[in-house]
Amino acid sequence: MTKNNFSALGSIALTVVLIATIPLIFVIFSSLQLHAEQWSGLWSNRLPGLLWNTFSLAILVALGCFVLGVSAAWWIARRSFPGRNIAIWLMILPLTIPTYVFAHIYTSLLEETGWLGQAWRAAFGEAIAIPDIYNVFGATLVLSLAGFSYVFLLARAALSVSTRSLEEAATIQGANKAEVFFKINLPLLRPAIAAGLSLVVLHVFSDFGAVSMLQYQTFTLSIYLQMSGRFDYQAAAGLSLVLVLLSLAFLVMERFFRTRQRYYSTRQVRKHTPKPATRWETTIIWLWLGLITLFAFALPLAWMITWSWDAWMQDLLSSEFWGYAFNSLLVAVLAASVAVLFAFPIAFYHTRRRSLLSNVYLQSSSIGFVLPGPVVALGIISFMLAILPWLYGGFIALLLALVIRFLPLAVQSQDATLQQLTPSIEQAGRSLGAGPLENLWLVILPMIRNGMAGAWVLVFIDTLKELPATLILRPTGFDTLPVRIWIEASEEMLELAAPAALMLVVGTLPIIWIMMKSEKKAL
Amino acid sequence: MRKKIMGKKILAFLTLIVVFNTSLASDALVIYSGRSDKFVKPVLEAFTRETGIEVTLHAGKSTGLLNKLQLEGERTDADIFFSNDAGTLQKGSELGLFAPIAAELTDVVPANYRARDNTWIGLSARARVLVVNTETDKAKPIQSVFDLASPSLQGQVAITNSTNESYIAGVTVYMQATNKDKVKSWLEGLKRNAEGKVFNKHSKIVSDVASGKHAVGLVNHYYIYRHLAKHPKAPISILIPDQGKDGMGVAWNVAGVAISKHSKKQQQAQKLVAFLVSPKGQKQFAEVNHEYPTRKGVAASSEVPPVDTFKVADVPMYQLGEQRNATIDLIEAVGMP
Repeated sequence: MTKNNFSALGSIALTVVLIATIPLIFVIFSSLQLHAEQWSGLWSNRLPGLLWNTFSLAILVALGCFVLGVSAAWWIARRSFPGRNIAIWLMILPLTIPTYVFAHIYTSLLEETGWLGQAWRAAFGEAIAIPDIYNVFGATLVLSLAGFSYVFLLARAALSVSTRSLEEAATIQGANKAEVFFKINLPLLRPAIAAGLSLVVLHVFSDFGAVSMLQYQTFTLSIYLQMSGRFDYQAAAGLSLVLVLLSLAFLVMERFFRTRQRYYSTRQVRKHTPKPATRWETTIIWLWLGLITLFAFALPLAWMITWSWDAWMQDLLSSEFWGYAFNSLLVAVLAASVAVLFAFPIAFYHTRRRSLLSNVYLQSSSIGFVLPGPVVALGIISFMLAILPWLYGGFIALLLALVIRFLPLAVQSQDATLQQLTPSIEQAGRSLGAGPLENLWLVILPMIRNGMAGAWVLVFIDTLKELPATLILRPTGFDTLPVRIWIEASEEMLELAAPAALMLVVGTLPIIWIMMKSEKKAL
Repeated sequence: MRKKIMGKKILAFLTLIVVFNTSLASDALVIYSGRSDKFVKPVLEAFTRETGIEVTLHAGKSTGLLNKLQLEGERTDADIFFSNDAGTLQKGSELGLFAPIAAELTDVVPANYRARDNTWIGLSARARVLVVNTETDKAKPIQSVFDLASPSLQGQVAITNSTNESYIAGVTVYMQATNKDKVKSWLEGLKRNAEGKVFNKHSKIVSDVASGKHAVGLVNHYYIYRHLAKHPKAPISILIPDQGKDGMGVAWNVAGVAISKHSKKQQQAQKLVAFLVSPKGQKQFAEVNHEYPTRKGVAASSEVPPVDTFKVADVPMYQLGEQRNATIDLIEAVGMP
């Protein structure tokens, strides 16, 4: 490509990056108003404890997601067994349940009168106390169940691609099965697993729902408490800034590990043909996947259905309910579409340039994901009222916040797809006389269509579940399903939140179906 | 050719969003409400029936909505602000976000339950009481909230986490009614007795005390009646602390209303406030949640102890806002979980 086209692409990418950093500018600006003594107060009292809490939780959740996600992905990608397609669904479905719903369901299931509490009593009697989940392990359990699907999705995609020739070469050289796994498969999987785990860790950093329900003090929870306890959004901004720096350090580290590992496949990507599973293997596989499903989806679903049925019987569902569902859908579709659109210049620029600048763009666009929702929301309000007051009051503010929050999901997954494109394909297009834009539309876009669809689905699912920014920025009287869940649950009548939570799960089903279908077509 | 069509599509999509964006405004009276929908909807529906004025309810966290109101300034849609906590309302007054309410409306509510400058009015009050398990004697000697720190109650006291606004409001009242040192050593004892286990929901404290795992819990009074409505035979009862000649009285907090300074519908907003302080509105606003109407002479629901049968701590509600940061400082200094 000529220099010119690059700079056109570069300036579009820069524009998007500038939009994505609006909340960061707000955070920096607000923290600048903190006095030195306020900073030192924050530093000495709280930071060490918060750091420890946040990091230990992130590491434990990453471990949990690695075990659950990679094991499930391995079996499903490498063995064919009865019900394999259902198994894929079961591993993705937990994504449809927001963490705050997960946490609430588990706290109530583990009460003395809850299903798990009663089962525990039946099994162990009074001798052993019902496990307490108001601690780091409870938070780990909830966040791992809610997040392992990201690792599963990315690891499975990577495992589905055939590496047979490499595996065979290793076997011929005398490697045993374990050696093949650790020396061939795992290194090849590393970029996918790293991408999945970094999604998980960023979710942990930014999670509010589960940690607030379980009373586990992380950075994000403490930022919320600053804002709501003392109306002190400057201190909140100060803490946010620390959180951003930490997350950036983490992202850079993760990128560093990933960029050292780039593989272009030399031929057209072939799908791996899974081996048929023996009967014994099938039993083991289903026991394991069944166990995961039980805790990650079946129990929560049963809880939601039970209480929704109750609400239905008591006539608590009004016609407004469908309005909330429609609002959720509208916002999620728009946000996902805009995010995919915005992400492309950044991902594409990075793929072609691979310069320091393109890396800075890529990392800067991730900031929205780590900033707590309310901080993003306040940043957007300040920005719009200062620069675009005539647009304020409608849902553009909300849309902007959601796009900024979830842009990194789209960028990451587009970037991952673009990385697999061998540059030679593009060069072939160019040598056949296609202009740069023509090449983009006719060669590149069709090839990464699935990556785009995947990016869209990821943003869609997260937007559909988003609560904190939506709560603050939604247009007056414009309620979405998560907002309703929150409203019903906040007066401690948590069962009333079940229908909206169930609706979220049901609403996401067609989207996942579309994703799976487009994937099948592609391979 | 295809690229041009694609570009146009994208442009059309973005334009559509901008156009659609502006079509959401409406004429209804907009209420930023930090009080649960379930409790404000019935009374608002009655208001609309009576006056024909439509309302739009915009629910959220009191503090989040207040932050929003402040940042929005004159661009705000909000005409009315509801909160479940006097501290939050007072904070809004201090930030200059509210318009004064006409004196003939505020005067029906005692001065203790509204802002000094009449920028907010308390509408319904809740008492910070004890829920005790009736099957054990452990809670028998308790007469004051300060008894909760007694060493004999180690592991028997259920409290919420220290970020709960009702909890903070309660501690503020105790600080005002007694003194800082007394409250500090009380909090230290309470921290020891809670043994690191705090609750994130008041309703869980009540059901926990009902199951006998703790002997006593510190809650807002209505949670007890809510539990009893579902489980009439639960072995719990209400204990109103700090009564008697020398007692400081039970701590109160009010839910209340304010009018946004930048509301362009001041008249309709005053009408809503007038409805809320009228005997009928008062009854309805408080009764749905078993609370006490702040207007003198309007009775609370029949399940709760009548208001003239117990003593209330003599602390003006605006103190809950003015002293809030001092309370949080103390709570953090003690390191309450």
